[in-house]
Amino acid sequence: MLLARIDGVIVSTVCHPSMHGCRTVICQPLNERGEADGAPVLAVDSHGAGQHQRVLVSSDGAATRTLVGDPKSPLRNSVIAILDDSS
Amino acid sequence: MRLGHVIGKVTLSRQDPAYLGGRFLLVQPWSAAKYAKPAAPLASNAGLVVYDSLGAGVGSIVGFTEGSEASKPFAGLTPVDAYCAAIIDEVFHQPPQ
Repeated sequence: MLLARIDGVIVSTVCHPSMHGCRTVICQPLNERGEADGAPVLAVDSHGAGQHQRVLVSSDGAATRTLVGDPKSPLRNSVIAILDDSS
Repeated sequence: MRLGHVIGKVTLSRQDPAYLGGRFLLVQPWSAAKYAKPAAPLASNAGLVVYDSLGAGVGSIVGFTEGSEASKPFAGLTPVDAYCAAIIDEVFHQPPQ
């Protein structure tokens, strides 16, 4: 799983049907010191993580397909946890 | 899923029968620098060819997925590992200062 920070959202009207009704957030991966590390990835968020909140992003496609309820969904990354603290 | 700019199209003369009816886009993925400054020029590293069934044109921003998930939306087994899942209308990106 990736430790990441929510840096924004994207809006898309023409997309795969499994993405309708899902919030797609821009997740910036973080390194151990909490700084940005690498290119952002997009993930489906069902927990309502706020802006600049730190989250855990999973790249397990099977879990994301179950989350959106579509076995033919091409989505891969999904936000599975919102971090309180990390030391 | 990653963002990328569509910079071209790819036409196949001979193709796998599973590709019938598909369109292929040449996409340049967004680097971290591009997210920081959307007006910055596109990166010059390798682009990739993305299967598209939504009708994205050259110059639009698309969200594409890679890996085995890219072959899920098809009925049968399809040799696709990059699939255009969304045509992006707006990107709201504000990292903390």
